[in-house]
Amino acid sequence: MGRYVLRRAGVSALMLVGVSVLVFVVLRLLPGDPTVTKVGAAQGIDPAALRQLRTELGLEDPLPVQYWHWITGLLRGDLGRSYFSQFDVGVLVGQRLGPTLELSLAGVTLAVVLALVLSVLPTILGGRWLGRLVGGYTTLGMAAPPFVFGIVLIALFVVRLGVLRDESYVAPSADFGGNLRALLLPAVTLGICLSAPLIRYLRAGLSEVEDSRHVRTAVGKGIPRRSVVLRHVLPNALLPALTSLGVTVGQVLSGAVVVEFVFRWPGLGSLVVDSVYKRDYAVIQSTVLLLAAVFVLVNLLVDVLYGVLDPRLRVGEAVP
Amino acid sequence: MSTLELSEMDSVDAVGRGVLRRFLARPPAVVALAVLGVFVLLAVIQPFALASPTRIDTRHKFGAPGLAHPFGTDELGRDLLSRVAQAGQASLGFAAGATAIAMVLGVAWGLLAAARPGWLDEVLMRVAEAALAIPTLLFALVFVAAFGSGILAMTIVAGLLMAPLTARITRSAVLAELKSEYVRGLTAVGASRSRILFAEVLPNALPALLAQASLNVATSLMLEATLSFVGLGIQPPDASWGTLLKAGYDRLYESVWYPVAPALLIIAAIAALNTVGDQVQRVLRGTAWSGR
Repeated sequence: MGRYVLRRAGVSALMLVGVSVLVFVVLRLLPGDPTVTKVGAAQGIDPAALRQLRTELGLEDPLPVQYWHWITGLLRGDLGRSYFSQFDVGVLVGQRLGPTLELSLAGVTLAVVLALVLSVLPTILGGRWLGRLVGGYTTLGMAAPPFVFGIVLIALFVVRLGVLRDESYVAPSADFGGNLRALLLPAVTLGICLSAPLIRYLRAGLSEVEDSRHVRTAVGKGIPRRSVVLRHVLPNALLPALTSLGVTVGQVLSGAVVVEFVFRWPGLGSLVVDSVYKRDYAVIQSTVLLLAAVFVLVNLLVDVLYGVLDPRLRVGEAVP
Repeated sequence: MSTLELSEMDSVDAVGRGVLRRFLARPPAVVALAVLGVFVLLAVIQPFALASPTRIDTRHKFGAPGLAHPFGTDELGRDLLSRVAQAGQASLGFAAGATAIAMVLGVAWGLLAAARPGWLDEVLMRVAEAALAIPTLLFALVFVAAFGSGILAMTIVAGLLMAPLTARITRSAVLAELKSEYVRGLTAVGASRSRILFAEVLPNALPALLAQASLNVATSLMLEATLSFVGLGIQPPDASWGTLLKAGYDRLYESVWYPVAPALLIIAAIAALNTVGDQVQRVLRGTAWSGR
């Protein structure tokens, strides 16, 4: 087990190194540099001043040196400095981390609850139409880009019915109630799109376990259907669904980018989009690497957890 | 030997036709194909058959759906049906181009990995896994920051982004075929490795690859809509489903109907493409079962 974890962690670390090189190289593939964009508006800028600026930002160094500075800085906890606002990227990320975490947690919680209810209910109640309805919900959920639900919710509840107001983010420390009111629609939006793939995995797992022998035995013993599903089927179906959690985190990250944009939520997603607008490479590279690290780490944890829960995977080497 | 080749070719053809027949026997698959057909048709006939997407009619701004304008009108009174149909040319064209790039790259990548087990396979698949380690959208944003959001650059980027997954699917489909009885037979009668790969294995793996192609088109449509919606994709005045959706979202208070048309088309197209991919995979799994 220890070797399995070590090997898996090593692969993850290598992956992150690969990602960092890739992000760094891609951002510098094309000639042209952000300082020119920055002072672009000012005509007839002194070339010496430009060079000074580039030296200050470390852009005059050779690429491997720049990469080395970036990576060693990251390992010390220094994410670099924005080319434009002169803020430390760490400060910018720190400001945005809270709102993103809040939104993601609320969204994931909602998605898990939705997924459990919507996948278990048709199994308990039987009945074909309920299953079809849930099937339709997942098809829709997988096909709609996350922000579409946001637009629909705004159009319905804010514009048409007027029961909710279009609120912008307030810090929970300033106005807790206001914060929750602002959180409602974005969290529901994220929850709906995250629940669709979860339901698919869960239902596939449920129907597979339902056919197994121990379930047939339980049914044969005359145990009521509800307890059969909740005590014998569901626990066994949860394990395969766990792998989809890793995928879900990837969707949280992508979903957060657009959901934050729709609801003007000041999180990491909107920070990335803003920096792409401005070509602020210092912010983009560190933030994207950070998000990729979260993604890789969660997938590592899921794999290890899976290994703990399912001994078959522990034997020998990683499954190809 | 020639008789054996003939019978092998027959069975290959039979498998291909069997998949198509079983695919078309499934109602969801037929509905999905019909939906896609309508969208493509809409984009193609738009210049000839529909109202001009640029004709301004300021007396009928933000019109609700009706007989004259099935999807309503926009902020300048332009017909939204023709605008959506015209935008489909950009969105579908982009998706087709990106998918073509992804398929060519991914199939070559996966085929090479499957054909050369050992260190080359290992390296190729590790690279694919590392590329899959970042969520597609984040990767796309990095590329847009570097290359800008011209439609050509975006098509190439989307194609590159989808290649690793396509490579992985190709590799596993080809490996599954390579294990089968008929490949051993062909090897025994002395058929060359490249002939086995290109003339026998690849045609048999085709349904699985087409399923992946369908999913790739869906992914590119989703990517285009998302990037355009946050303003980093196709740039106005060029219109795509994503840019129209953004325009409609900005005018939500003037007309809740504005974003409906692009949203519906995006959702329906992606759902149909997912269904096609899904149904092909189900048919293939079914074939495997009956073969057992």
